[in-house]
Amino acid sequence: MNFSLTDDQASVMSGLDQLLGQTGENGLQHAVTHVYSAGLDAALAEAGFLDIAREDGFGPLDAALVVERVAREMQVVEVGVSALIAPLLPVDVGIRPIALLSGDAGGAARFLPMAKLLVVDRGDHALLLPVDPDTVVPVETLLAYPFGRLSEVDLDSGTRFDDIAGVRRRWRIALAAEAAGCMAAALAAIIDHVTSRFAFGRPLGSFQAIHHRLAMAAETAESTRWLALRAAWSDDDGDAALAAGFAQSRIAGFTYDLHQFAGAMGLTLEFPLHLWTYRLRALASDLGGASLQARALADAVWGEAA
Amino acid sequence: MEFGWTEEEQAHRRRIRTLLDETLPADWEQISLHGPGSDAQTAYSKEFCAILADRGLLVPHWPAEHGGEDAPVWQQFILGEEMWAAGEPRGAQYMNVNWVGPVLMKFGTPAQLDKYLPPVRRGESIWCQGFSEPSAGSDLAALRTTAVPVEGGYRVTGAKIWTSYAGQADTCFLLARIPPVAGGAAGKAAIVILLTDMRSPGIQVKPIPALLGDGDIHEVFFDDVFVPAADRLGAEGQAWEIIGFALQNERVGIARYEFSRRMLDRAVARLKTQGRWGDPVIRDRAARALMLCEAARMLVYRVVDGKARNLPPDAFASVARWAVVQADNGVNDFMTEFLPDGLLGADPMQQAHHQRAIAAGVASGAAEIQLNLIARRWLGLPGEPARP
Repeated sequence: MNFSLTDDQASVMSGLDQLLGQTGENGLQHAVTHVYSAGLDAALAEAGFLDIAREDGFGPLDAALVVERVAREMQVVEVGVSALIAPLLPVDVGIRPIALLSGDAGGAARFLPMAKLLVVDRGDHALLLPVDPDTVVPVETLLAYPFGRLSEVDLDSGTRFDDIAGVRRRWRIALAAEAAGCMAAALAAIIDHVTSRFAFGRPLGSFQAIHHRLAMAAETAESTRWLALRAAWSDDDGDAALAAGFAQSRIAGFTYDLHQFAGAMGLTLEFPLHLWTYRLRALASDLGGASLQARALADAVWGEAA
Repeated sequence: MEFGWTEEEQAHRRRIRTLLDETLPADWEQISLHGPGSDAQTAYSKEFCAILADRGLLVPHWPAEHGGEDAPVWQQFILGEEMWAAGEPRGAQYMNVNWVGPVLMKFGTPAQLDKYLPPVRRGESIWCQGFSEPSAGSDLAALRTTAVPVEGGYRVTGAKIWTSYAGQADTCFLLARIPPVAGGAAGKAAIVILLTDMRSPGIQVKPIPALLGDGDIHEVFFDDVFVPAADRLGAEGQAWEIIGFALQNERVGIARYEFSRRMLDRAVARLKTQGRWGDPVIRDRAARALMLCEAARMLVYRVVDGKARNLPPDAFASVARWAVVQADNGVNDFMTEFLPDGLLGADPMQQAHHQRAIAAGVASGAAEIQLNLIARRWLGLPGEPARP
């Protein structure tokens, strides 16, 4: 048991921090629902961060560390699927961004407007569908990812992939790692806010009502992070369902409290909180939501219902 | 980053489980039913701790110079997990080996080490913690029990409350205040720690009937009790530093989540036997309780990891403590809703868990104090204005 980064991990994270420092944004320039950055996406891919799990001596844990760190940025890019699920798939390196869907291939999917591949969970297998950009219709939404849906679905053009359990496991790990990054960034943003904004002659953050709920939010963010990293380390079905389910079960309360403490400012697009909280709200329903993760966890740990 | 156990650690855990399997009596569940402070469990704990001591498993984490084996921090923690998960057959001893001993080693005089450590090492002594008072619980610094300096020592007068194990204890780790009229400094600097012999004239112990079990909490009255100066721990004015060190060890010293996790496994087994495991609501709720246990485990491990790597203590222990309280209560709530017969005589261990869970957010200081500490020391939020 050792919670510190290895020298190799520290080196990777240092390089990632440096890259994000060069390409990241320090403030929200425009009132928008999300900030997709093709430049950051290209820089991460070019530097090899998205393929780290394929490198000798590295694996899903290192990929999850990258996903969690990138998710703290204001800009949003497709990292989780590329870094954690793509290494399992029979597709060439570099076929990305990748969008994910459960069930209906015609549903709205994150990153579909720029995706090269759509992975659809069809129950007992996954279907890998190449994406023709001309068939993608962008979807307007508050949820802070670029969403789109296919105007035409040709299931026959897809490739069947049987390791659906592997896809779901890595999907859950990616979800938890991304949620952990979003929670950390959202919490940091709101701590800045309540520390600098005054009411009744005191900083908002000096009121005990706020102390307690932010302390609980901190526990949520830390638990999500460590459960995600453990799941990535073990690459175990139960750990993955547990990490994703925990994150999803806490998202509603976490995002409610943080918006509450931002007051009306948190309802505007000028205040950046939504860039993370509305990613979290999108993640809350992935893979059927917290209850389905919970039941998958119960099956993995205690066995399926007779 | 590594979240697995070494071969050595796994072997250590197996050794402890084997010892528990071989040692715990057939009626252990009944013995543990009334809590670690009960007469039955206290009597058994002395027998059990003697066996642990004999096998080098009572204080292996202590330094060799104090009779331990310099065992790694993780080994101590694995021992704690397994003991608490089994219903804590060490009884009150867990406190002595986890923090009373280490505090004495850090701050005690050679004479105090000679006097107090050997019985702890042998599992023979029982301590109680004279901290809380009727008007000073979580606000420990408000304590009013006085220690008036006299020739050769102190005269102690006051009352303590919620004191675990007081009815069985040989020694009290007592906090008292030198009053201003007797030359005491202001605030926390006036507090002294007196290692008080519970057989001293003037001490009266009164058990408080409680939901927690028999003999678990008490009122302790001190009426002009003489404590020799040689039994003061640390210098006058040093008490708060010592208390901080002690609480640092205490707050994550109990692996509560492990007992909760085992109880959850046991609850699921019972639900399967009853043919109820197919209910998706039950499976959902069981798994959500499990999520709380495992979150608590990871946060506590994060604290232990810092200790194992000799990092300076930080406020993360408070984050972990909050998660532990959620885990204990999450499992308790699940079992109370879906297996109420466990509290109606069908499962003594469920009742024992229930009694520990309802105290999880109160024992060792209210969990809300941990939230204050997280806010101030972990998140760096500004404090509330000082009271007028």
